[in-house]
Amino acid sequence: MAKGELEVGGEGVEGPATAALSLSPASLRAILSGVMPAVVLVALILVVGFFAPSFLSLYSFGVLLGESTIILLLAIPQTMVIMIGGIDLSIASIASLASILLALLLPEIGFWAIPAVLVACMAIGATQGYIHVVAQVPSFVVTLAGLGLWSGIALAIAHTTISVDEGYDAVGWLQATVLGIPIAFFGGLALLLALVLVFRRMSIGRYVLAIGLGETAALLSGIRVGRVKILIFTLSGLFAGIAGVAMVARSYAGNPSGADKLLLPSIAAVVIGGTAITGGFGGLGRTLIGVLTVTVLRVGIAIVGIDPGYEPLAYGLVIIGAVALTMDRARISVVK
Amino acid sequence: MSEIAVSLESIGKRFGSVQALRDVSLMIRSREVIGLMGENGSGKSTLLKILAGLIRPDEGNVVVRGRPLTKASFSAAAKAGIGMVFQEQSLLLNLTVAENIFLGCEGEAVRFGLYNWRKLKEMARRQLDKLGCDISPDTITGSLSFAQRQMVELAKVLTIEDRIGVEPIILLDEPTSVLDAEEIDTVLHQIERLRSRASVVIVSHRLDEVLRVADRIYVMTNGQCVGERDARSVDAEDLKRLMLGKHLSEQYRRHDRPARPIENEVRLSLRNLAHRSDYRDISFDLHAGEILGFAGVEGSGRECVCRTVYGAEAPSAGEVLLDGSVIKFDGPADAVKMGIAYVPSERRIEGLVPNMSVRENMTLAHLKVARRGWFLDSQREQKLVSQWVERLRIKTPSNHALAGQLSGGNQQKVVLAKWLIAEHPRLLILDHPLRGLDIGAKAEIFARVRELAQNGISILLIADTLEELLALSDTILVMRDGAITARLPVGDGKPTQMEILENMI
Repeated sequence: MAKGELEVGGEGVEGPATAALSLSPASLRAILSGVMPAVVLVALILVVGFFAPSFLSLYSFGVLLGESTIILLLAIPQTMVIMIGGIDLSIASIASLASILLALLLPEIGFWAIPAVLVACMAIGATQGYIHVVAQVPSFVVTLAGLGLWSGIALAIAHTTISVDEGYDAVGWLQATVLGIPIAFFGGLALLLALVLVFRRMSIGRYVLAIGLGETAALLSGIRVGRVKILIFTLSGLFAGIAGVAMVARSYAGNPSGADKLLLPSIAAVVIGGTAITGGFGGLGRTLIGVLTVTVLRVGIAIVGIDPGYEPLAYGLVIIGAVALTMDRARISVVK
Repeated sequence: MSEIAVSLESIGKRFGSVQALRDVSLMIRSREVIGLMGENGSGKSTLLKILAGLIRPDEGNVVVRGRPLTKASFSAAAKAGIGMVFQEQSLLLNLTVAENIFLGCEGEAVRFGLYNWRKLKEMARRQLDKLGCDISPDTITGSLSFAQRQMVELAKVLTIEDRIGVEPIILLDEPTSVLDAEEIDTVLHQIERLRSRASVVIVSHRLDEVLRVADRIYVMTNGQCVGERDARSVDAEDLKRLMLGKHLSEQYRRHDRPARPIENEVRLSLRNLAHRSDYRDISFDLHAGEILGFAGVEGSGRECVCRTVYGAEAPSAGEVLLDGSVIKFDGPADAVKMGIAYVPSERRIEGLVPNMSVRENMTLAHLKVARRGWFLDSQREQKLVSQWVERLRIKTPSNHALAGQLSGGNQQKVVLAKWLIAEHPRLLILDHPLRGLDIGAKAEIFARVRELAQNGISILLIADTLEELLALSDTILVMRDGAITARLPVGDGKPTQMEILENMI
């Protein structure tokens, strides 16, 4: 998993065959940086388990994976956006808005509320992408504006949480568990694997890589860079919508600020996984590891019994430590 | 003989499976100008980087004034008096000249973290005076011409002598490759002046330049130093033979060849094309299989015409016809679809993605050739890429090697392969295709371009020198200040360089 899909550098100068035979320091470093995110994850699980042995049980892993679902759904599109050298700060607010819209529509039109909300979210994402590309406004700015706009709309529609009762069954199945793990997590995982396949085996993956690593050359090679970017932002909106659906399933309610505090963890997950925040290097498989790491951290800090007042402190320290360990600097000449 | 400033003792260096340098020994006396020549990929840049402390050699020693350098780092080399002027300039364009010259070693000009501007300017003035250069230290570096910036780079390197109190050893990596004739003269003149206070190593592809400034010349081929010549007595043909090594490649075709018959079929025609203030009223026909060379100085608008035909710029008036039908495109993607290919001059930024592999770069413009149905077929892609690596004789450790790690000539071949890998393009635009390439690589690209034209591909060409332009083109269009001033057919020794020049300026 660590070595895969969108990565360029896994295939080093020497090619896979010779790399296995003679390990130069450089290729050793490349391999190390490939597995480092996984090492950090396992270490973190063991540390939490050491302080709270009950954490190392199937039951709590099930809870953990359920807990990670929303971050996963937000981190997947974030990875793609970051790969092309952008960032999407609006996804969490789109997810919150989606949960509100869904909570309002479910009692009215039942199941059809889901596709309706997803289409709306895709339209939001596409609009942001379009503005970014056509008006040449940096994605950071467009989505920062989006962050305010969409949560503002969510708050204007619903001043507080809207609980869902009638029509909940349309989303409730997402919370059913198999082996103690909610279906929603499997769904997220399936989407991730599908995208890994798409990016690895279809032209779009190559295009995304090329845009992240050399946009001018990509443009002059005849790649429709603008279209690819709009597509990625549309996907980002879609996934934010799916995250919104999963939130309603999980909490029986729509919440106008429900996902807001997950924005930064989802970005942290991408970076901890080893995707370069500057674009180009990284991959979706890596992000899965990053998502699990962030979730273990969020859950673990509480389990270990750190004073809630110190939680943000511990969280911040561990994030910095994890990124310092997992970032692959070999191919990035300047770290900004 | 004066004392030895630096000597390299049996330097060896490998990159992956490529032996970049093998047992290279040479020495530089103080106040001597050394010319380092060789084809692209012959190892001269690597050697220079080892001297500058940027790369650590696997074997051998760098000995400066009798003492081996123990640590390979830029600052250690600088402490020993070695400074490098980079091919890709290292100045920060948003700072003043004075700031750039002393960046990182401001010395007395900074007190408690604050700039003493007057002091800084004074110090900068002193450095610039060494070169007899009248650039004001207050100038924002970005507003200088490339050649002027080269001067500032030199002044920056010369600070070494004040800082450590020894005569510096200055390394110049192709200092003239992107300059025009007059600017080249200024830079060469400076190098001659430097002789009174420093040792100089200059890497250049231009034989006449090296012969003019150097005292001794070392020639490298395939990572080895194959010859040492005295610049005063050496014969240019002898040097060329040494550089080319065993594979004496085809010489440029001279333009005294008879004019080549051109097919009648018009491939591309421009009708009164204009682009804001860059050019206006450009009309010409390009036939199938014809090579049309653009002559003109910087700012003549020839680059912009080419970029417009490729769809990278939108014309403000006029039309472009391809095979008789007016084309209207919205960006390069449409041009590529219609069979127009573009080899840009900025190879590493526009031509390829340095951090993607040779394979990924080669198929980037025409991924459909590597696709079976919806999915990429990696075996098919691999096979195709290997074929082209072989056909164009691209030197690469493997198809997976990052394109940025290849030498300039091989990178250019990858860019060419990118456009040939699918069905051949109808029109190929070459913007400075030979820039920064050595004689061998030039000859190869040359032959390839001719061959493509013979296969009926029409070519628009912008070349670095008139000699190259004359050797390749069937027709030369001369541009001046955004307008065409002459259309000259090439053949039987005509036109002369003088005729072209007269229409350029």
